Amino acid sequence: MTVFHFFNCAILTFGPHAVYYSATPLSEYDTLGTSVKAALVYLGTALVKLVCLATFLKVSENESFDPYQELLKALIGFIDVAGLYFALTQLTHRNISQNHKFQAVGLGWAFADSVLHRLAPLWVGARGLEFTWDYILQGLEANANLVFSISLAALGSLMWLRKNKPKTLIPIIYACAGIVATMPSITSYLRRGLGWHFPKVVGFELFTSLAMAFISWQLFSACQRPSA
Amino acid sequence: MAAKKHGDRPVLESVYSVIALVFVLVACAELCGAATVVDVYRLIQYDISGVPFGSRLAGLNHHALSLHFPPGADLSRAVLVIPVRDLNLSYVKDYLSERQPLGGLLFLLPQIFNFESKESSGDGEELFKNIVMELEQLLIHTNIPYPVYFAFENDDINTVLADIKRNDVSGQPATATTGGYKLVVSTTEPKKVASPVMSNIQGWLPGLKADGDPNQLPTIAIVASYDTFGAAPALSVGTDSNGSGVVALLEIARLFSLLYSNPKTRGRYNLLFGLTSGGPYNYNGTHKWLRSFDQRLRETIDYAICLNSIGSWNNELWIHVSKPPENAYIKQAFEGLSNVGEELGIKVGLKHKKINISNSRVAWEHEQFSRHRITAATLSEISTAPGLFENTGSLADSRNFVNEDAVIKSVKLIAESLARHIYGHRGKNIQIFADEGSLAVNPSYIRSWLDLLSRTARVAPFLSKNDPFVMALKKELEEHTEEVILQNEVLDGIFTFYDSTKATLNIYQVASVTFDLLLLLVLGSYLIVLFSFLVITTRGLDDLISLFRRPPSRKVKTA
Repeated sequence: MTVFHFFNCAILTFGPHAVYYSATPLSEYDTLGTSVKAALVYLGTALVKLVCLATFLKVSENESFDPYQELLKALIGFIDVAGLYFALTQLTHRNISQNHKFQAVGLGWAFADSVLHRLAPLWVGARGLEFTWDYILQGLEANANLVFSISLAALGSLMWLRKNKPKTLIPIIYACAGIVATMPSITSYLRRGLGWHFPKVVGFELFTSLAMAFISWQLFSACQRPSA
Repeated sequence: MAAKKHGDRPVLESVYSVIALVFVLVACAELCGAATVVDVYRLIQYDISGVPFGSRLAGLNHHALSLHFPPGADLSRAVLVIPVRDLNLSYVKDYLSERQPLGGLLFLLPQIFNFESKESSGDGEELFKNIVMELEQLLIHTNIPYPVYFAFENDDINTVLADIKRNDVSGQPATATTGGYKLVVSTTEPKKVASPVMSNIQGWLPGLKADGDPNQLPTIAIVASYDTFGAAPALSVGTDSNGSGVVALLEIARLFSLLYSNPKTRGRYNLLFGLTSGGPYNYNGTHKWLRSFDQRLRETIDYAICLNSIGSWNNELWIHVSKPPENAYIKQAFEGLSNVGEELGIKVGLKHKKINISNSRVAWEHEQFSRHRITAATLSEISTAPGLFENTGSLADSRNFVNEDAVIKSVKLIAESLARHIYGHRGKNIQIFADEGSLAVNPSYIRSWLDLLSRTARVAPFLSKNDPFVMALKKELEEHTEEVILQNEVLDGIFTFYDSTKATLNIYQVASVTFDLLLLLVLGSYLIVLFSFLVITTRGLDDLISLFRRPPSRKVKTA
């Protein structure tokens, strides 16, 4: 029965990635290679972040919110953005349109994130006899993360790959990218500083991810009009 | 070709190491924790001449039910959790005697019986004490084919029990298909204890032999058995039975060693102190100890005083004898004790119970002495002879039921009457162990030994050969006496014991299978909705419809 629960949570955590790949035109254009390369770049970025965190951060005894530490963590989080930049611009992709490139990169990024952060706890914990809601909430968080990654990749491609953007939209694009990039710091502030419980935090993440996705979709289509 | 093979080797090795790592990960994935982990103590399991008694199983893996279970619930795969506070003894009695199938029993004891807790005593202790003693007697003498465990109440277990009660009252008992709590004790099956060892400790205080006197000095023996037997061997501390006797013996040894250390005050009697084991099993240890005496020693013993439970009496003590009261030594000893008793305000009564040699049951320690033809008597607060495994240090015999003043008064009684007999001051009103003198009874000595005894479980088959407590007793006797001998004997063959007395209970909160099925349904529909949404937004509605309508359109084309 508990392996059944593990199976359920695994479907919730990794299913949407597979569904996204097969449902959108990504599968028709065979962009799997791009996603794999993006996943590998995420791996490298995670390693670099780990080393920086280990070097610069102090281990705090209690779960309180330390602004200085959180600022440091946010700065290190920008390495994520750098990694995404690398994946979007520096890697050679096959001739696929920008529309699909950012989706493939975002998908690979989110999939690697889910596997690295959520597979091990799921394997060890969800198969035990004891039942907790944590693993289902973790799966929902993975879903929200997928949406965030795709939004960030979209905004990133807007910032770095598109040359002619309407002047008024540029600050909005950068602002949205900034918000999405600092999401981890915001959630940790909510959890530790304000003391929100896990379900509330996950709900907040889902809501903001949908909001951000909508905004970035609007921005993307707004930037697409002049060239069309 | 060869170069490629050499290049393949390190790759293959790394692949193998990765696979090995994966297997290790798979293997150690059972490390998940439970909601609550509690220490539990198993009911004793023993055989008398092959007849089984006690709880015969140790492993437990069933759902938990409370006493309010709905009728028709399947009890053979459930564990009944019963707090002793709400215990209905007749119900348990019926259950056991009818031999109804049950997955297991878990009794929750109030914290006052926990010798490790620092809680002060509350009200209603006497009531609990009697209930627990009755429950113990019931459980010890029954053959129970499923695991029975004792645990102490604490906040975690109380919340779990309240939850279980709520579920049961609403008519949804915990089984595999509904949710609930699962109790798991994973231990190995109990094995026989190979050769249970009884350790008898004796100490000898030699008297003053006059020069030129060829005869042997007479000896007086003071004996107490220190081991216990109870329903939960890991919890059988037996503070009154017979911790009080042990403490009194040690204090008497200390006082007389002070007297005997100076040759001017050394008496003309040898003193033999004996701490025997095997008390609950018809005083088997005492029997083996006496058998090992050589003839000369046996002949010089004038009489022996055995101490048994002298810690919770008010103003009445009993001397139990098996030889007729007209016997000279018995008369002497009894008169001495009752005279001192009068001075101290203690009423000392005499009870005579004849021994039946054909009956193997030995109710008092002095009966073993009598069988070996040594005059002896037992001093005790108990007025009637106890049955098998009664008054042998039960669960309920904890520190707060023992009154140290009672022990102090007993020590005074015995020491004074002994000293008056030894020094020939019989009948005279002399206080040798006066309260303010240097030979006063030391209350803090008694208190600290009582506290130690009330925290040590002393069931003989589960005490190893060099058990630290036995060594501590030996060392203490060595401080007060000379020639301390530790004698190890094997417990007689008719009693067999099984190990596994302590375990940890994991309480898991499990979700039902229906919950996971529902979850699967929800997830399946979520993924389908997501799929359709993405197809519609990125490729258009026609594409979605075309996914399901492809075969018919082909038919149209060929036609």
